[in-house]
Amino acid sequence: MPAALHSYTARRIAQTVLVVILTYVLVFFILFILPGDPIQQQIENPQNPIPAADAKILLQYYHVDRSGLDQFWIALRRLAQGDLGYSLTTGKPVASLILQAIPQTLALASTALLFTGVIAFTIALAAAFAPSSVIRGIARALPGAFLATPSFLVGFLLLQLFSFQLGWVSAIRDEGFKSVILPALALAIAVSGPIAQVLIQGLNRAYGEPFVTVLRARGLGEARIVLGHVLRNAAIPTVTLLGLTLGELLAGSVVTETIFSRTGIGFLTQQAVREQDAPVILAVVMLVSTVFALTVLVTDLIYPLIDPRIAARPIPATADQASD
Amino acid sequence: MTFNRRDFLLGTVAVAALPLTPIGHAAAQTQAPGTTPKRGGELIYLDAERTTSFQLTGSSFWQTSAVINHLLDRLVFKDPDTLELKPWIASSWSIDASGTVYDFVIRRGVTYSDGTALDLASVKRNLEWQSNGDKDKGIPRNSWFPQIASVTTDDARHAVTVTLAKPNAPFLHTLTSVKAGLVSNATIDASRETQAIVTNLIGSGPFIAKSEIPGKETVLVRRQGYAWAPATAKNQGEAYVDSITIIPVEEDSVRLGALKSGQGHALRYVQPSEEKPLVKAGYQVVGVRSPGTVNFLEVRFGAPFVDDINVRRAILHGIDRQEIITKLYTDNWKVATSVLAPGTLGYKDLSAKFAFDAAKSNQWLDAAGWTERGTDGIRRKDGKKLEINIYVDVYDNTSKQLYQLIQWQLKNIGLQLNIKETDYSSYPTVSSDPSVGLRRNGWPSEDPYTLTVSYLSTLGDRFRLKGEDKKLEQLLADHVTAVDVERRAELLGELQDYLIDNVYAIPLLEDSQVFVLRPNVRGFGQTRSYPWFYNTWLDT
Repeated sequence: MPAALHSYTARRIAQTVLVVILTYVLVFFILFILPGDPIQQQIENPQNPIPAADAKILLQYYHVDRSGLDQFWIALRRLAQGDLGYSLTTGKPVASLILQAIPQTLALASTALLFTGVIAFTIALAAAFAPSSVIRGIARALPGAFLATPSFLVGFLLLQLFSFQLGWVSAIRDEGFKSVILPALALAIAVSGPIAQVLIQGLNRAYGEPFVTVLRARGLGEARIVLGHVLRNAAIPTVTLLGLTLGELLAGSVVTETIFSRTGIGFLTQQAVREQDAPVILAVVMLVSTVFALTVLVTDLIYPLIDPRIAARPIPATADQASD
Repeated sequence: MTFNRRDFLLGTVAVAALPLTPIGHAAAQTQAPGTTPKRGGELIYLDAERTTSFQLTGSSFWQTSAVINHLLDRLVFKDPDTLELKPWIASSWSIDASGTVYDFVIRRGVTYSDGTALDLASVKRNLEWQSNGDKDKGIPRNSWFPQIASVTTDDARHAVTVTLAKPNAPFLHTLTSVKAGLVSNATIDASRETQAIVTNLIGSGPFIAKSEIPGKETVLVRRQGYAWAPATAKNQGEAYVDSITIIPVEEDSVRLGALKSGQGHALRYVQPSEEKPLVKAGYQVVGVRSPGTVNFLEVRFGAPFVDDINVRRAILHGIDRQEIITKLYTDNWKVATSVLAPGTLGYKDLSAKFAFDAAKSNQWLDAAGWTERGTDGIRRKDGKKLEINIYVDVYDNTSKQLYQLIQWQLKNIGLQLNIKETDYSSYPTVSSDPSVGLRRNGWPSEDPYTLTVSYLSTLGDRFRLKGEDKKLEQLLADHVTAVDVERRAELLGELQDYLIDNVYAIPLLEDSQVFVLRPNVRGFGQTRSYPWFYNTWLDT
């Protein structure tokens, strides 16, 4: 149904744009209402306060002396010209900060997603089909254990072992791909729990369905049944979760990036929120809301490829459920 | 007590003076430290905070100033060992009898790292820029700088003469500060946003900012041909290390783990409980205290109950400072003995005026009518509970435990200290709330002028007295224009007495900045508690 698919896609894109705009407006005024900002911090810096007379220059320069609505229009006009402004704390252009952070986060998120997939599928397959009941039991317990372990602890243990003890990788410097592995592993352990859990349930359910008996009767090997058919049938909820997880990973992980001294989106967010650096927060929020909305959209569009029956049904209903 | 070199403690025992021969305990026994500085190597320094804007005249956050300390030379050098003012870019100076005309003879042959000359015109422009700011570009003036009436240059004597609008006794000390560092025209000409980037801060110092990955690392490299060090610096040529890499590592455990595993050479700030084990393991733990104000609690007038001097006196005497050191800190920390730190001009030991005495505190509170007690042991008067609000200081990682112990001590005299917490960005605003009775202040400083900046009603007015205390206003203002040093010291003595007698400030501890160095780091130095790696070299 290409026509339905097109109108559905167009609607979802419009929704995405609306979500981003509303988020921007909301965050702008929330930041305006909250007390404190980096300019106020500089002025009231207890180690070197700037007297009111000297501080006026700063307030005027940053238009902090104007009303909230005035400041909003100024920001919108600049945004329309593609100007994201400058960080109030570091004075650096926001665009360059974001551009520096994106590759860092992309590398981490994609590696973490790969690890997540491998870990979750391995655990789920072991939990459902391992020949030994002991291994099945262990595999079934792992997702819960992963969920219960705080990611800063995992991160710190990984650093302690591989960086401080074995010295394989620096804890503080960027050594390219080598520096991505540990944080990606820490992230993967943190997010693979629920995915493995859902996949285990899906596999068990699908394995009990009549079509498996039919396939077996046709003389198909157990491996083909599992990998070619059961997995496919069990995959839909897992793909939804993977999509949401990807969104989460792309939004940057504050804890993991801080522990591993990585300067991705998560770190940028954490610093900006800590200092209430409004231009940076707004840019990050726009980026993250766009990424989230897009990953949900893409996930929805992938379903028909996995299960053609979904395309035969009215798409919007299914998609809306999935995105709930 | 005078401020001497033994105050820079190494580890838990003062084994040697800095920065000449830093010796770690265990390391000293197993390996004799080299004495001839070696050239070369990359020094990796781990700070707890990432740097902020490098726009010079505006803000000055600690971690940012620590970087600038290596990039910019100043007219006058405050020797960290003797605390005397020594020639740097100004080879000599004189002040006229009125205290308004300063004459600086400028060293010849100094250049900025962009190749331009640090000449008379450049000094003149820097001084005017510091004093006036650059309003059109949104660049504030250096708020410590006096108003300058005129700056003239004299080619024959290679001198710059500065005439101030009125006498300013702190001026020479102000000129030693990081903020008063000299920069090339290129920096002054740049926009506010350009000046904010460290690589655009062009100075004549022993290091040049080469590159920066925001939030990740800043790399400084040795300035080739540097030959204009402060007169008393041990090293008079180029810096020893090839480069300094400054990396912000927020996580305490990661910062320490990285240093221990050899990924870094020096770090700032460890938990006090870590200090002893580190010294045992051969690391150099350097606690630096330098002049300025001590850590104290300032009274925020208008907040409940603190307007009553009896309540304030009860707090002043109800805090057992020695117990704080013993329970929470190490020998690298010391109790405060005045509002000013030892070594500061006019410093006066007033510890007898605020000795711990819970019985006295109880008497004052009784006298003030706080005689009833609730079941919680806290005093009541007219149905009101004796409680005072305070916010955990976000600029000091140890302040939470510190406040908790003080809270416990004050509970013994029937006063409840409500400790509140807020985030980094809200702290300045939230801790200024009228309901907050006490707030932390006090850091190292070039000059006791910092008290005036904080408390004169026309400047910081942090006691929120709005100029009502005329005597205080006078004391805060008079020492600034006192041309005679002896007279100024006397006035500062009076100011300290006044602040303690009226309990406007409640001294706690001397400010300590703790650094940890690997055993092979030699010649670590500091100026005004900022690290100074100019003399530092890496032994094998």
